[in-house]
Amino acid sequence: MEKVEALVELKKNKTAMAGLILICFLLILALIGPWISPHPPLVPDPINRLKGPSWSHPFGTDSLGRDILSRVIYGSRISIIIGLIAVSISLVPGTILGLLSGFYGRKVDEPIMRGMDIMLAFPAILLAIFITAILGPSLLNTMIAVGIVYIPHYARIVRSSVLSLKEQLFVQAVRSLGGSNLRIIFLHIFPNTIPPIIVYATLGMGTAVLQAAALGFLGLGAQPPTPEWGAMLSEGRQYIQNAPHVAAFPGIAIFMLVLGFNLFGDGLRDILDPSLR
Amino acid sequence: MKRGKLLFVIFMGLMVIPSLVLAQTPVKGGTLTWGRGGDSVTLDLAQATDGESIKGGIQVLENLVIFKKDSMDVEPQLATSWEVSKDGLVWTFKLRKGVKFHDGTPFNANAVKVSFDRVIDKNHPFYKYGTWRYPALGLGPVKEVKVIDEYTVTLRTEKPYAPLVANLALWLCPILSPAAIEKYKEDIGRNPVGTGPFKFVKWIKDDQIIVERNDDYWGQKSHLDRIILKSIPEVSARFMALQSGAVDIADDLDPDSIQMAKANPNFKIIERPSVNIGYLAMNTKKPILSNKLVRQAISHAIDKQTIINTIFRGLAIPALNPFPPSMWGYNFKIKDYEYNVQKAKDLLAKAGYPKGFDTELWAMPVSRAYMPEPVKTAELIQGYLATVGINAKIVRYEWGVYLDKTAKGEHDLCMLGWLGGNADPDNFLYGLLHSDNAKPPAANIAFWENAEFGKLVKEAQTIFGKEKRAPYYLKTQEIFHEEAPWVPLAHSTIVRIYNKKLHDVPLRPNGLNSFQMIWKEK
Repeated sequence: MEKVEALVELKKNKTAMAGLILICFLLILALIGPWISPHPPLVPDPINRLKGPSWSHPFGTDSLGRDILSRVIYGSRISIIIGLIAVSISLVPGTILGLLSGFYGRKVDEPIMRGMDIMLAFPAILLAIFITAILGPSLLNTMIAVGIVYIPHYARIVRSSVLSLKEQLFVQAVRSLGGSNLRIIFLHIFPNTIPPIIVYATLGMGTAVLQAAALGFLGLGAQPPTPEWGAMLSEGRQYIQNAPHVAAFPGIAIFMLVLGFNLFGDGLRDILDPSLR
Repeated sequence: MKRGKLLFVIFMGLMVIPSLVLAQTPVKGGTLTWGRGGDSVTLDLAQATDGESIKGGIQVLENLVIFKKDSMDVEPQLATSWEVSKDGLVWTFKLRKGVKFHDGTPFNANAVKVSFDRVIDKNHPFYKYGTWRYPALGLGPVKEVKVIDEYTVTLRTEKPYAPLVANLALWLCPILSPAAIEKYKEDIGRNPVGTGPFKFVKWIKDDQIIVERNDDYWGQKSHLDRIILKSIPEVSARFMALQSGAVDIADDLDPDSIQMAKANPNFKIIERPSVNIGYLAMNTKKPILSNKLVRQAISHAIDKQTIINTIFRGLAIPALNPFPPSMWGYNFKIKDYEYNVQKAKDLLAKAGYPKGFDTELWAMPVSRAYMPEPVKTAELIQGYLATVGINAKIVRYEWGVYLDKTAKGEHDLCMLGWLGGNADPDNFLYGLLHSDNAKPPAANIAFWENAEFGKLVKEAQTIFGKEKRAPYYLKTQEIFHEEAPWVPLAHSTIVRIYNKKLHDVPLRPNGLNSFQMIWKEK
């Protein structure tokens, strides 16, 4: 019943729907990319370099003559995968740490949360740069870096819900029925922390895509010739005076995807957060 | 109406003529701001390995001899004349009299001895104050420096060494004030004291270096009051600084900016072939690449002309020998491996790799005149290799790490280049391809060891006279071509773009440019 209600709410929420449509559009693009992209994304065609938008190259070509539309389409796969994996990397450990820390309090809570505080004290991008510098620049390491950086955020959110949940009657009921701690944490408290996690994860996808693009822009992310949006943007910067389309289209693509996740995340929060109703 | 226009044009023309005439007489004074890609590492050029250090140091320091303005022959600078003994071992230099260092110390034979001994003599008290780079290219062959009298000094080499005087004109052999070396010790590189037309004033790290006119200069005094060498690492920012007038000269612009600058009447442009090479080295110590057929296949698979059109925007010529055709000893008979996919595939099949193989392609992280956009070049090469079935993964490291790891031979294919300061074939052939330099840390990063090549290069070092040495070098280039340890890619054209208010701006192929003669319109 609750699920149906939420779906109805979602349909009513215009912001969320707009975000969802944007995400779905890019997702479909990513899925059918290989069939619809007009040119191979990696093959250089130096004679046609830096051509402006035309019928055969709707988004123009980059400095090596590669079709920007095709690269943006393939880039959508990379960015969406980065978002998903980076968020999963922060989500799983973050949730577990938050659950343990919130539930057991004091002795467990202190070391975990102070550790998280230290991570939070670093500017996110600096920490991500630091991690990629250690691991070496690659797409996988970008995802790991972005993922690690956001672990504390999830830990905090989960912990704060656990703190209020564990005082509630149903938890005490399970406990008096003889339920073990782990059972209480994972079967009874965890399901109730899911709504805020979903909201935060959706918003986090947008942030992760941006962070990964920033690392790509700095040359620490996907390595050439991978069509990663941040790296494409960085390359285009050099031609901003005479071929602005090279930077513009990957920039618009990043903007659309991040906007999609943000709108959808905001809408979800309106629906799932009872306090905002 | 038409007549009115004509009269107007004539009138304007008359107005312009006097200013044109005036413009040709050098104006004294003014500050030149010089935008460049990075800061200097040191201004003690005996310790310098990079172009940015040389740009600064060469304004302040002078050598015994200097390359002529328009050729690679040398002429006197702090030495007035020199001769070599019959056995070819002892070189005697007569020194210029009445020259003073910027700190007032007189220039004499002792200054030469101290400046050189600190580099070559491990027991010299000043030896420990520096890290002496590339000695083999500079003072390395010199075994002893002797003061004969106040203004005469001799250099003795162990074996006859023909390129010695050309070496002395390199940035690596500057004469510094002995008093200053003693005073500043390790910090001499941050406080250079020489005899040049400009005096060092101030260095703000990663920002700017300031030098001022030396009013006591022994020769033609500079017109400019001051030069500010300003670091602007971002290419587009550097070009914008030139467009806005914030800098008078912008170095190392990318080819697309150069195209835009050419269309702008406010700028003047000089283009000149450089004595450099950008190349793809194939690590011959790796099992697959040790096979000559594979290396030849790779040579056939890469379309240099397209790389030049795309990356260099035509500002380069395809390379086929290890050094450029503007240098003596160049072998014009060699025909390049032409771009031919089928031939490359056939050679690969013959070598036993009909389906190709996996390899790593190391791309430089920084751009250099010989390799303006290394990563894009790597992407193009990657594309070419893919068409013959070679799957190359692009590998990037930070510049220092890159040089370190390639010198250790960790790479398969890697990109690098060289600017041959003294324009002597030996500088390229011995330095970059001889087996002496194929041991880590290697300069021969193809790790190519060829006995016949090595023997010819060594023999040519001991012979005097270009005409006599040339045949050896012609032969070595044949061996190099056949064995293909590199794919030579391009000899780039160097370009200087500057505000049209500047006059007499130098652009030397070897990168050794003193700004002594520049003057600036008010």
